[in-house]
Amino acid sequence: MSLLTRNDIRGLMAEVVAAQGKRLPDDDGALLRDIGFRSLDFSELALRVEDDIGHELNFDAPGLRQIASVGDVLEFLDSLQRM
Amino acid sequence: MSEDLTPIPPASCVVVSGGSRGLGLALVQDILGRGARVAAFARSVTPELAALAAEHPEEVYVEAVDITDVRAVEAFVRAAGNRLGPIDALVNNAAAGQDSLLVHTAPDRIASLIETNLTAPLLLTRAVLRRMLAGGRRGRIVMITSVCAQRGYSGLVVYAAAKGALEAAARTLAREMHGRALVNCVAPGFFASEMSSALGSEQLDTITRRTPSGRLVEPTDIVPLVRTLLFEDTNLNGQVLTVDGGSSI
Repeated sequence: MSLLTRNDIRGLMAEVVAAQGKRLPDDDGALLRDIGFRSLDFSELALRVEDDIGHELNFDAPGLRQIASVGDVLEFLDSLQRM
Repeated sequence: MSEDLTPIPPASCVVVSGGSRGLGLALVQDILGRGARVAAFARSVTPELAALAAEHPEEVYVEAVDITDVRAVEAFVRAAGNRLGPIDALVNNAAAGQDSLLVHTAPDRIASLIETNLTAPLLLTRAVLRRMLAGGRRGRIVMITSVCAQRGYSGLVVYAAAKGALEAAARTLAREMHGRALVNCVAPGFFASEMSSALGSEQLDTITRRTPSGRLVEPTDIVPLVRTLLFEDTNLNGQVLTVDGGSSI
């Protein structure tokens, strides 16, 4: 299976956020704490990305703690799928 | 053979795993200071540990050994006994940490954490006890576990499972080694040094505030308890002593 584009990942993130009755801001700089996007939401998104690309994305928590914005999430997952 | 119900004597020759730095090194120094001999290993021997061995060649034996290398560990225990005399105590201190949610931890990483934190300490304990029993000696085993075995902390599922299993093993072994060995655990809370490397200062302050003693754990908090379990006649057996400043109460 092929890698996802940043936009694909953004689309999946929008689905996770929408399932909570919220809308994902267009601005990559939007802060996760303002959207209420928590660590397990990130896990859910990562697992959805895994399903689409067909392999696991395993990572340690310290990297996750640096993530603050929508752009950080997209960047983190985009880099992770390429490793 | 009649049962010997006299107190198990103080340790005279102690194996310490993970003895090259931090708590392990502090334990090696303290055991030596009590006049006992000590055999320590770790994946790599630090200059501090090497210096101790050089200063005390008759009392300290050190080697670089990976605790998951079963044959190397058994050879170390044999060599330590030949070099220092009969081993009658063990501090199972070596461990590998975890900081990842279970769902994002690779299966081979899970297997590796279990191997280092549970299987390897059990095999080391087995090796020491076999030599102790074969020599007709009695002794003491101390497992360094973790408060994670008793309380839930995110990111530590596999580590906690291994430490909890080690505590269960210690209780069972205390009964199994009826009269031949005292087996206890010391369960530290989070060490200040570990916490500060993984967390920001704000999170560190929050955790410290939630700790009734107001202090995170330092090796110097743990050393006196291990010393007691190795050298004193307390009749403590099959117990877990938690040292976390009261954060888990």
